Amino acid sequence: MIVPFGHVLFLAGLLFLMGAVCAAARRNLIMILMGVEVMLNAAGLVFVGAALHWGTLDGQAFVIFIMGVAAAEAGVGLVLFYYLNRRTGDTDADSYHTLKG
Amino acid sequence: MKSLLMMLLLFPLLGGLYHALLGVRLDRRWSEIVAVAAVAGSLIMAVAAAVVAGGRPVIFPLLEWFSVGELAASMDAMYDPLAAVMAVLVTFIAALVHLFSVIYMRREGGYARYYCYLNLFVFFMLVIVTADNLLFLFLGWEGVGFCSYALIGFWYRDAYHADAARKAFLVTRIGSAALGIAIGLFFTAFQSLSMDYITHHAGMLSAGMVLAIGLLLLAAAAGKSALLPLSIWLPDAMAGPTPVSALIHAATMVTAGVYLLLRLYPVLVLSPVAMGVTAAVGAVTALYGACSALAQHDIKRVLAYSTVSQLGFMVLGIGAEDPTGGLFHLLSQAFFKALLFLAAGCIIQSLSGEHDIFRMGRKVRHALPKVYGCFLIGALSLAAVPPTIGFFSKDRLLLTNLTHPSIFHAVLWIIGTLTTLITALYVFRLFFLVFYGGPGPKRTQAPEPGPVRPILVWTLYPLAFLALAGGVMNLPIGSWNFLDRYLMPVAGLGPPLEASPSLEWGVRIGNAVVALIGIGLAYLAYGPRPLKEKPATAPDSMQNLLYSGFYLNKLYHRWVVRPYEQAAAFLSNRVDHGGVDAVMTGSGRLASRWSMNLRLWTTGRLSTYLGVLLAGFTAMLVILALGLL
Repeated sequence: MIVPFGHVLFLAGLLFLMGAVCAAARRNLIMILMGVEVMLNAAGLVFVGAALHWGTLDGQAFVIFIMGVAAAEAGVGLVLFYYLNRRTGDTDADSYHTLKG
Repeated sequence: MKSLLMMLLLFPLLGGLYHALLGVRLDRRWSEIVAVAAVAGSLIMAVAAAVVAGGRPVIFPLLEWFSVGELAASMDAMYDPLAAVMAVLVTFIAALVHLFSVIYMRREGGYARYYCYLNLFVFFMLVIVTADNLLFLFLGWEGVGFCSYALIGFWYRDAYHADAARKAFLVTRIGSAALGIAIGLFFTAFQSLSMDYITHHAGMLSAGMVLAIGLLLLAAAAGKSALLPLSIWLPDAMAGPTPVSALIHAATMVTAGVYLLLRLYPVLVLSPVAMGVTAAVGAVTALYGACSALAQHDIKRVLAYSTVSQLGFMVLGIGAEDPTGGLFHLLSQAFFKALLFLAAGCIIQSLSGEHDIFRMGRKVRHALPKVYGCFLIGALSLAAVPPTIGFFSKDRLLLTNLTHPSIFHAVLWIIGTLTTLITALYVFRLFFLVFYGGPGPKRTQAPEPGPVRPILVWTLYPLAFLALAGGVMNLPIGSWNFLDRYLMPVAGLGPPLEASPSLEWGVRIGNAVVALIGIGLAYLAYGPRPLKEKPATAPDSMQNLLYSGFYLNKLYHRWVVRPYEQAAAFLSNRVDHGGVDAVMTGSGRLASRWSMNLRLWTTGRLSTYLGVLLAGFTAMLVILALGLL
């Protein structure tokens, strides 16, 4: 592998952090979902890098699952947002505060 | 025999259950019939059982109650001559009182409750009388206490009556506690609670044990029989309806303590100290009751203090080693006191509820001539004028004290004779004020006496007959001492010490003269006189001292009730509210303040939750990565 493992981890960590900050700081539901997707892909990147580093296929196989989960999550999430938008005309996460204690 | 005893106990119990379960739903007339029939049936059974037993002691196990280890409490009945005499007396008086109640209480509500407790009262007293096992006796003992509480507080909506009932209940509990301890000591000493066994093996007890048990039994009797210093409940117990007072005073309540002393006399007699204390308590109580009775205004309170005094006489007799004399006086007191109370009930009903003797007068005598006659017989018997039963029983007790070898009993004899004088004085003060008093300052507002139902007066006749002629059952002449001989088989009960005939007759004539002097003094002070003249009065301080019963209530209030209230207030305010509650409310407030802080986290904003989730996850990972845990 030409790229050092440390670089892969650093990039993945950076991506994960950016995704987390995006998910926590943005208020638009679509952007939160995108942040989560970025975090999932960061994790996938670590799996790929680790698989190459240790020369096993387990990590690569796992990435397929992660992509499937991410796709399913995006699909379900987008449908939910679509219905929410239709009901209230609002995609702002803070508008949905009926669980406030 | 066993079935007779069973029925003796079951009749009043079933009567009580009938009133408790069905009494309110069915007709009032049925309640009255059932109540009277239950007790009358009991009376027949008591007499029949006495005839069948024929003076021999018989013991029957009635029911198994419970047994724990060696402690076996079975409901055993013992029917010996002593129990037979008491059972017949209790059911006889109770039957008359029930009959009297039917008329006397005819306008009162709550008849089912009244007859229920009245029947149960008789049942529990019969349990005491027939019990052989001490725990079975204790059951009756407590049951009697409860029924007296319920009946004294019959008009419970009135605070005065409810307080009197509570007072009677609490004060008699002191005696019950003493009896409970005594039962425990008996069990440790004998491993048995059968009184038959205990009285026949009393010699096994050590001297200290005998003294402790003797004093505890005396304390138990003092609670129930209103001896000093626990006599304070009896005058207040007058708050109950008059027939209940008659029942309490003559048959079912106050005699229980004396009966306990008679039952366990073979134990008591082993300790000279306990016997001396018993006699002294009896003599002092007799004098105390008589003096207090001198200054009362309420007709029932005079009779109540008189009961205290007469109970003192009975205990004095027991303490002077003449238990049969004590029982004889118990019988005589039951007859004349029931008579006086029921007659007082007639007078009170005739005057539509008036109790104050200064508001009664010659009008009462004119309106109720038959009651007047019966009351006179009762008063003569109480004043111990020959040839009434009261004379023979009291004469015997005084003679026993004089012939007792100890000089201590000579002192008690003097107290007893003095009490006889005061007794005659107070009872005829009562008699003259009630039947001869002219219109005094308070009499102007006195109600007009009305007629009473004849049945009320009829119930007085058998009692009047017994109060007058009942002495025949135990005359001190030759072989006329039927009661002495009948009671011979009972452990510890026998004839009194022999005295020389001259001493005997001297004391007898002396007693009669003393009683007559008392009546003469009462006549001089309170007898019939011209209308204008005021009756004699003692100085105010003396009057107050006697009226309040030597301030005994105040003493109790000062030294028992108030310290108790202060301790309760301290425990309530400082310990409970200031201590326990403060810790509880403090911790609760702390928790709620913390939860207020935690509440701020649930903003309802998704970003906050995510941020917290990430921060927490990061913290966990950092801890794991650095190997902090």
